[in-house]
Order: sequence, then C-alpha cells, then structure tokens
Amino acid sequence: MDPIFASIEQTPFSIWMREDLYAYFIALIFHSIGMALLIGGGIVVSLRAIGVAGATRFDKFRGFFPVMWVGVVMAIVSGIALLIGYPAKALTNPVFALKFACLIGAAFLVRAMARRLFPLAEQGMALPTWGRSLGVAALVLWLSGVAAGKLLLHTYTILLVS
Amino acid sequence: MDPIFDPIAIEQWATDVGIFGMMNTKWGWPIAEIIHFYGLCLLIGAVGMFDLRMMGVARGVTMKELHRLVPFGIAGYLMCATTGFLFVVTAPGQYIYNPAMQMKIMLMAIAGANMAMFYATASAGVNAAGADEAPPVRARVIGAVSLSCWLLVIVFGRLVTFFRPPEYWCLWCAPG
Repeated sequence: MDPIFASIEQTPFSIWMREDLYAYFIALIFHSIGMALLIGGGIVVSLRAIGVAGATRFDKFRGFFPVMWVGVVMAIVSGIALLIGYPAKALTNPVFALKFACLIGAAFLVRAMARRLFPLAEQGMALPTWGRSLGVAALVLWLSGVAAGKLLLHTYTILLVS
Repeated sequence: MDPIFDPIAIEQWATDVGIFGMMNTKWGWPIAEIIHFYGLCLLIGAVGMFDLRMMGVARGVTMKELHRLVPFGIAGYLMCATTGFLFVVTAPGQYIYNPAMQMKIMLMAIAGANMAMFYATASAGVNAAGADEAPPVRARVIGAVSLSCWLLVIVFGRLVTFFRPPEYWCLWCAPG
C-alpha cells in the first residue's frame, strides 16, 4: 500500500495541505466543529434514550438531526482533506479504523433509535428497556470515537512525509 | 517583564507537586487531552444543544426539560478546566503568551458572563415557554452568543498549536 500512499502524497493537493500555512489548520478547525456538532447532538439523543430529560417525547429530538447532518458533512469533507495530506500516517494506524468503527457504529445506533424508538414515542408508548441499552451503547461509542481520534496523534508508526 | 505570571516558577511548582512528571509520562498528556475533549463534547452536547433550542432549533423539545442536561455541561466544563490547568502549568511558556490561548480564555469569560445574563434575565421566560413556542428574542440572542463563544473556543483551542512560541503576546507586560 505504501506506493499508493506515496503517490497520493505527491499530488498537488496533498502537498498544499501539508505546506500551506493555513490549509491544514483550517481543515482541522472545520473537522473539530463538525465533530462537535455531530457528537454533541449524538450525546443529547443518547442521553435522552437513557432517560435524561424524560418528560420530553423522544421523537421530538429528531429536530437535532439536521444539526448533526451539518456536522457529518463538515467532518467528512475536512476529514478527507486531512487524510489526503497524510494518507500513510492515518491509514496504516489501526486506531484510525477504530475511530471510524466507533463513529459509524454510534451513527447506526442513533438511526436504529430513530427507526424503532421514535414511532413508539409518537404513539405515546413508554420506551422499552433495550432502548436504554441502545442509548448507553451509543454514548460509549461516541466517546470511544473521540478517544480514538485524540490518540491518532500519539499512535501512528509510519510517516512518509513531514 | 511580566508582572503577573512567572512561567519558570509555575513550571517549577508543577514539577514540585508532581503534575509535570505525570503529564510527561508516555500517556499522561494524551489521556488529559482525551478528558479535555470529553469535556468539550459534553459542553457542546448539553449547553450547545440547549443554545440551539433557544435559537429555535428542535421545536417540540421543551427548553425546561433540555435544561436538565445542563449539569452534564457543567461537568464537561470542569473536565476541560481541570485538564486545561494541567496543560498550562506543565508548559506555561506554550500557553500564557499564546494569542490563541488568550482569545480562548476571553471567549470563555464572555460565555460565562452571557450565562449569568441568561439566569438573570431570560431563564424564567425560557422555563415557562411551551414545547412548540418560539423562544423569547432575548433568549435567542443569548443562545446565539453562547453557541458562537463555545464554537470559537474550539477554533482557538485548535489554533493554540498554530501560534506556538516564538509568538509572544503579552498585553499586560511592561514594555522592554
């Protein structure tokens, strides 16, 4: 895989991401804000599934989904830019895969809540106990994704360019 | 000459009490960073989403109920403040005169004053508002200021490494 990563790192965009004074930091800022909106919304929905703010109908929390989608788009676009800057550094690090697995897993759990729990809440039914487990699992995955993201800087082993 | 902070003395104190040694172990700094970001996530998740609700997002969720998440935001703030203190005392020269750090602290102070304004002037109206009611204008403004401050805190937090020394901002220092 290294030759592929090396060739990506020689593209003008990759070089620009690394060598421009502002490019990397701007992408990093957008990535942080995107992740904050996505995970912030995810945490609120997960906490509600666990039972916090229980007097508000769960399906009403759907209103935070557009904010989370804005976060997803910002995080993905900026994340791809960051990845093109240092593909070998990220893609050879298993913690990077762990970060993705956690965030995608958490997103799927929130989707499952929306599909299976929101209809129950709309009908005025109490949430089942497994709904609470879903919330706990999602919360753990959101926080694990954050931890894995922070550990990227400290766990990479291959750096073809600097 | 800095009349307030003495970075060398601060670092010496951090060494004497063991913070410097703890932060410079292999996992000391990364674990503190993770806790710092957990704090930010809780802040944005609790306070940020409450701000968005005050701005009119997610109608149907009562602001009074969402306000129950605020203790999570306070916990997040304490996590950030504690770990932030550890960062600063471990490497005071990297932070005290860093323009991004100074902006970050200033924005946190504005967010704090804004929160005081909320509890003094808008809290009662927000708690009385129904689930589908539009929030009062004052609450919308306070929500927008709060969310902007916290997002900018993230921005300037990211920029701390951009302005690492030799950048030297010290508006309170005596000339020369």
